[in-house]
Amino acid sequence: MRGPRSNPAPHLGPVLAGLATVALATVAVGKGPPPRWWAPGEGRVFPQQLDYANAQGSLRVLLAGEPVATKGHPFFEPLGSNGRACVTCHQPADAMSLSAETARARWDATGGKDPLFAAIDGSDCPSLPQAQRASHALLLNRGLFRIERPWPPKAWNGAPVTPDFSIAVVRDPNGCNSAPGHGPAAGNISVYRRPRPVANMKYLLAVGFPFDPKQGYALPLDPDDGRMQSGNLMADNRAGNLRLQMDDAGTTHLEFRKRLTPAQVTRITDFEKRVFTAQQSSRQGGALDDMGAKGGPAHLRDSEPGALGSIGEPVWSEYAAWDKLSPADAARLTPEQLAFRRSVARGARVFRDRTFLITDTAGINSRIGFGNPVRNSCVFCHNMSQMGNDVAPGQVDLGTTTMPFADPWPDLPLFRITCLKAPHPHYGRVILTMDPGFALTTGRCADVGKITLQSMRGLAARAPYFSNGLAKDLRGVVDYYDRRYHIGYSEQDKQDLVNLMSVL
Amino acid sequence: MRKLLALLACALPVPAAAAETGALVRYVACPIYRDADSGKKSGCWLADDAATGQRWDVSLSPYKPDWNYGVLVEGRTTAAPPDACGAPVLEPVRTSRLYDMPCTRHMLPAEGYPGRRYKLQGRYIDPLSVARPVPPGPYAERAFPIYFEFGNDFLVYQYDDYLLDRAVTWIRAAKPKRLVVTGFAASRPETISGQVIAEPTELARKRAQTIAESLRRLLPGIAIETRWEESAPPADEPDADGIPGQSQRRVEIRALF
Repeated sequence: MRGPRSNPAPHLGPVLAGLATVALATVAVGKGPPPRWWAPGEGRVFPQQLDYANAQGSLRVLLAGEPVATKGHPFFEPLGSNGRACVTCHQPADAMSLSAETARARWDATGGKDPLFAAIDGSDCPSLPQAQRASHALLLNRGLFRIERPWPPKAWNGAPVTPDFSIAVVRDPNGCNSAPGHGPAAGNISVYRRPRPVANMKYLLAVGFPFDPKQGYALPLDPDDGRMQSGNLMADNRAGNLRLQMDDAGTTHLEFRKRLTPAQVTRITDFEKRVFTAQQSSRQGGALDDMGAKGGPAHLRDSEPGALGSIGEPVWSEYAAWDKLSPADAARLTPEQLAFRRSVARGARVFRDRTFLITDTAGINSRIGFGNPVRNSCVFCHNMSQMGNDVAPGQVDLGTTTMPFADPWPDLPLFRITCLKAPHPHYGRVILTMDPGFALTTGRCADVGKITLQSMRGLAARAPYFSNGLAKDLRGVVDYYDRRYHIGYSEQDKQDLVNLMSVL
Repeated sequence: MRKLLALLACALPVPAAAAETGALVRYVACPIYRDADSGKKSGCWLADDAATGQRWDVSLSPYKPDWNYGVLVEGRTTAAPPDACGAPVLEPVRTSRLYDMPCTRHMLPAEGYPGRRYKLQGRYIDPLSVARPVPPGPYAERAFPIYFEFGNDFLVYQYDDYLLDRAVTWIRAAKPKRLVVTGFAASRPETISGQVIAEPTELARKRAQTIAESLRRLLPGIAIETRWEESAPPADEPDADGIPGQSQRRVEIRALF
């Protein structure tokens, strides 16, 4: 495992030179750097700033306010029976998510004994032989955890939801949708998803407008405090607030048989709302808050959340200053740095301004009345300033989990959805999907394949991408969109977008 | 080239229906998308009236077509030149998607037409961070209509959200004792373009429930009673924009003191 700020690769020299002072500030004299991996219950102090090298440069994690003693803290302590804590799957070095690369390194370091690989969801199915690496292939290869949802669906409060579709298992390569106790007939459905980052939370919780234009209702109210919910926390929006998300994660991922106490919920909430992360420096471009740019998490920490980029600070205008570097500034950069910074600035413009026809995408082309098709750009959905998630609840079907748009991966389960009332407006009456997504929460055929838009911060630290790890790297993300919507990006456009995403 | 095409379009013979500005046009058709590109949301929607052979520009509908399905077009003729999309313009206009009418999707290239550059105007709401002005009193019983597309109980973006936000702002200030939410559906069969169309009667109930649910979220604690009526006569209401069919497909929120 790599340690933060330790043994920098030669090409990271300019980046990490500036981090030396950070190391002095956060690492006790005479000791080696703290390990990159945060193990449950280890009792470290979570400092106000952490920097972690990655292939694109370095990621910074900022903790607003005072450092947090993690000993006894419910985010960091193993609460349940399997030895995991929240931090197991929300690692600071991975932008508070978990990369597949980190999972592989953890397997190699522990021989698969780390609680990360708990049978409950760190293996493809608990019924598989747990000591074998192959039984954890989805986590190791694609960073996917098993998510078991009730069937028929239930609301957040356990109330039954009557679905307007039936579901049948077409393919079950792992046994978790057909083995005894598993599958629709047994009252559950297993899908496989990436862990979402637990950082920059004020943006994910922000409510910009009182309506959900994709669902055609006013926003639902938080059952705890009566405020409107953003709808942007979870991939399938099954939990609308942090307390519900914690309860869900506690009983499943941690195998915690009790309920979190209000005090534990308060402590986790306090921590999660104080964590901000973003790429801080680029291997090719240098410091990301240099020469007028506003990269890094400090700008995230200090900005007001929930603003539409179209009426406020344009999305990714953090790098607008690099579009018009003065000759004097340009002369201070190496040719590689200058070219990279210009590419990032171009990428931001491509992201905002390059329009294409969006077609057959529920959440955009239906039921909302933008039209099918509608011409727009990436910021049509990735519209929140500073974060690039959706100001409105972001449940959209890009096709990443659903045929014919998704790659037909044979190692994931495949379900056949049959709409019992109106057909799906874009797929028809019968749909093949590897993850019905939001439909497993609402019970609506029209919501099959919808996945909540993610934060776009810290991407360099947490490959692969999309909810099911469909894109193994940032180029894969761009290629998917280019293919799905016939955009026709040039090679330059693609590289500019990749470079942009590598510095977010 | 663009100017030439616009001039040619202007020179085309204008049918009688188009010549009569403000005339109501109502027909069923498969929509055509013209890929005009003046930036975001600038594409054109066109639809041919089979009875007259006239192609209309229906792009100004708040709820746009889906090129895989038919649309019910309802609009009024204008004297606006056809230079944006290449056809005479209906405004105001509504296009309701008819999901039981499959269409062959068809896209025209821009052919020199610019479409319309999108700008935020008309019926849209401010972010929650912007305080709504308190409507002046005195307050007394009042009804607020919310409109729907044909066959739909879906809240239309930048139309119904505006109407509902305006109603809720008034209700918050007026503090009525209760709300009666009544749904209506255009359930009386009509023959349009040779097709008999009618909304299902249960749509009136669904519409009332949709709006009642949003009101419960926007105005927690207020007493709400839902009602529905199977058939609705047209009404002359300003926010229905003079389109009779639109006024039939509505929910009425009545604030009672």
